[in-house]
Amino acid sequence: MYRKQVRRRRAVLALLIVGSFVLLTLTYQGSRGLQSGVSTVFSPVQSVADRALKPARDLVDWFDKTFDARGENSRLKSELVTARTQAVAGQEALSENAQLRKLVELDRGPALASSPYKEVTGRVIARSPTVWRSSVNIDVGSSDGVHVDDPVISGDGVVGRIASVEGGSSQVMLLTDHESAISGKVVPSGAQGVIKPEVGNPEDLILDFIDSTKLVHGGQTVVTAGWRAQGLAPLFPPGLPLGEVTQASIVEQEAKEQVQVRPYADLRNLDLVQVLTGGSRG
Amino acid sequence: MILTPKILIRMAAIGLLGVLLQLSFFSRVELFHVSPDILPALVVCLGLLGGSLTGAVSGFAIGFFVDCLLVEALGISSLVLLGIGYLAGLFRERFEIHSTLVPALLCMGLTLVAELGFAAIQLLFGIDAPVSILIVRDMLLKSVYAFFLGWPTYLLIRRILRPALVEEPRVQRRREPRVLGA
Repeated sequence: MYRKQVRRRRAVLALLIVGSFVLLTLTYQGSRGLQSGVSTVFSPVQSVADRALKPARDLVDWFDKTFDARGENSRLKSELVTARTQAVAGQEALSENAQLRKLVELDRGPALASSPYKEVTGRVIARSPTVWRSSVNIDVGSSDGVHVDDPVISGDGVVGRIASVEGGSSQVMLLTDHESAISGKVVPSGAQGVIKPEVGNPEDLILDFIDSTKLVHGGQTVVTAGWRAQGLAPLFPPGLPLGEVTQASIVEQEAKEQVQVRPYADLRNLDLVQVLTGGSRG
Repeated sequence: MILTPKILIRMAAIGLLGVLLQLSFFSRVELFHVSPDILPALVVCLGLLGGSLTGAVSGFAIGFFVDCLLVEALGISSLVLLGIGYLAGLFRERFEIHSTLVPALLCMGLTLVAELGFAAIQLLFGIDAPVSILIVRDMLLKSVYAFFLGWPTYLLIRRILRPALVEEPRVQRRREPRVLGA
């Protein structure tokens, strides 16, 4: 009797393991019908759960941020000095910009001014629990005009792009996903390259140079370059803020032709994002 | 564990709530830059209370549900979680659980195993990641969080599934019975 039970238990275990491998095979063959169905059914439930749990999340965030605040204080003070200097220079640019905008009758941000994109605002409803997957699910989908490969931004900068779309929800592949690659440009030096994630380090990106003759310094801003090449994410509007160069030693630039970049968007604590729909996905 | 339709419904509800709580709450909060992962602890608790078969099936189902909701590669979470569910069940079938500390410690240990398993599968599937200190920190902190989450989770699930548990001791009578008039 006991042996029979053991045999049955082992048989079920073997069946489950085989089942897992079958599911893996199906996934890599591109069959996603089942996932789409389940995701569509549960996305309203997730949306409700997301809203209901927001106060609890905010409470935990408050504790976490209080711990972090001490360390950030001194860093922010030094950044403030730099920012003040930049702000003075920025005032001049702003007044010039306002005049130019009047001239061309634009009422949108500079990066989106000449692009055909429309913004669709979405709320993050789920996030992968592991450090290996950099994706979030949002509560807008094809019924809102969202398409695969549409760029996704937050108030701070580029977040990623749409990886898959259902009726009322979509999956966003974040900048830190191992498959992500976006053309970027350092301003004001003008050095261009490809922004890739540093896999295993969820807070940092790498700018792989294409043109290594222009030197880059820490603290410089990286924006989207607006071009695409084979294997790169589809065309993002040029000039969207991506991040800030954190480490840029001359040795690393010359030897590895890359610098480290910290994304402006807080990819671990996203709440509201905007999908730029209607652009070129070619 | 005596599996009746009612108990199965309760277990399904536990799994469903656990997954929704993980995706909408735990994955989106951070303590020391690491998000807690309650799902391995949940599967370990189900395995400890129900045995190896219950643990394996729960792990498979919960993993499948997570992958469906996240629209990720199906089968990876199922494979990892069914493994730790089975191991937790085997532990319960071979050893007595004398202390409430044991489930918490098992949650911690098996969460670490799950994280390592998950990392191994991801690397096998071609994610070219250096084993950075951040990944190691992520795994270790997740295990520590599992210890603290596993404790109440075990007690709560044991309470919900109490009617199905075979060796659950009966509640002691408050007063000894006495003969009337004596």
